[in-house]
Amino acid sequence: MTSNNPVITEVVLQLDQLSRHRAGRLVVQDLSLELRRGQVLGLLGVNGAGKSTTLSMIAGALRPDSGGIRLNGEDFLEQPELARRQIGWLPERAPLWPELTVHEHLDAHGRLRGLNGVALRQARTAIIERLELQSLSRRLAGVLSQGQRQRLGLACALLHRPRLLVLDEPANALDPVQVAALRTLIREQASAGTAVILSTHLLTEVTAVCDRVAILHEGTLRHDGPVFGDDHAALERRFFEIAMMNPQDPPAHAA
Amino acid sequence: MSAALVNTWAVTRLEWRRLLVRPLAWVVAALTLAWLAWNFTLMLGSFLTGQIQRAALPDGPGFTDLVAIPLLGQLAQLAFLVVPLLTMSVLAGERRNGTLPLLLATGVPAAQIVLGKYLAVLGWLLLWLALILAMPLTLSPATHFDWGKLAAASLGLALMLAALAALGVACSAFASHPAIAAAAALIIALGLWSVNLGAQMAGVNGGAINWLAMSTHEQPLLRGLVSTTDLTWFALVITLTLTLATRRLSADREGG
Repeated sequence: MTSNNPVITEVVLQLDQLSRHRAGRLVVQDLSLELRRGQVLGLLGVNGAGKSTTLSMIAGALRPDSGGIRLNGEDFLEQPELARRQIGWLPERAPLWPELTVHEHLDAHGRLRGLNGVALRQARTAIIERLELQSLSRRLAGVLSQGQRQRLGLACALLHRPRLLVLDEPANALDPVQVAALRTLIREQASAGTAVILSTHLLTEVTAVCDRVAILHEGTLRHDGPVFGDDHAALERRFFEIAMMNPQDPPAHAA
Repeated sequence: MSAALVNTWAVTRLEWRRLLVRPLAWVVAALTLAWLAWNFTLMLGSFLTGQIQRAALPDGPGFTDLVAIPLLGQLAQLAFLVVPLLTMSVLAGERRNGTLPLLLATGVPAAQIVLGKYLAVLGWLLLWLALILAMPLTLSPATHFDWGKLAAASLGLALMLAALAALGVACSAFASHPAIAAAAALIIALGLWSVNLGAQMAGVNGGAINWLAMSTHEQPLLRGLVSTTDLTWFALVITLTLTLATRRLSADREGG
């Protein structure tokens, strides 16, 4: 899909030679990427490719072993507090506090992200309306369906209007109507200037919503380029080529 | 307000809310209050029965010695069980729930997360202490209190609860499961209380082993004796355990 956004060159996120071990295995290796304002990057890869680890590092939940992350030009590793206002993160399976209501979740996330008083109330009302959570606002998170949990997780990630939105498998457990609404929401965020990085297993998700696609394999970036227009088959071919690749093959960063 | 205070307060509010909506905190509070209220009634009855004999003694023990302080002593015993139950989920529960990375990703430093959670639990425990203290205090218009002794004993109890809470938070930071955190906190707390038991049985009343034991520092306070050595011991235990919890949480961000 081609972006309708005006060309904005402001770099929001810069990853420089990012590497990370987990459980004695090199999960992400020398990953370099750039993401600009209003861009939607689809991060593809088979299970264990390093997508979630990459997103955890970008979100500030995990420190890389080596390499650098710059957020709006500032060193994120030196100033992890930048995450507070600038990053919204929806991890895989939307972890929630089961004993708190939807309303209380949003309040807690807002306060942790530095919102208070009127600003918090306004942000909460706006996001509840936007994600149609009105009927659920007094319900405990522990009794929500998986799709509702996902929507609440998304609301928590968007509440403080971050400049970088990090979404890990956001379409998990959503029905087709909710998936369509999610795509609209992502495009809306991008139009408002938010940079979005979206990890998914679904190639259709990438062609439907992303401007760019990056494919990870065995922790290495194997492809980074524009989405193949609406040519879903071309993306599928490229993805399977990479998925079958020997890890020893040299990385091919550009499309 | 500084960013550190705002962050800590946000974590405290979140943890406090979670404590209030979980049935465990209410059940623990209700059961322990009922148990202590029953014991208070028994001790009060026994105090009233012996009042005439004690009237003959010029410096005999009063209401504070025979009712108020023994009640606080019973609370101290219950604390070994209650505090681990309250603290077990503060970080181990977050880890198990998958919400710990979410907290770490808010950019709030590990020290402020630990402190915020600690303050929430401590607030609950001090409220618990205040409710139990209210039992003897309701009789203040009708009886003579040794206020100094009661204040020292209350301070001792508050410090003991603060130390046990810090220990519980540290165990929760290290454990992968809340039940493991509770068991570890209980065993370490009992060990810390009675580490000098062998030395005392051998008739040794000084030395490092006695200094290390919590009982060495708690019992003088319950008797009404306040010393900077005892206060320093509690401050050291709280600081050390919270520092360990912070280091463990930082390692979560580093180690994944």
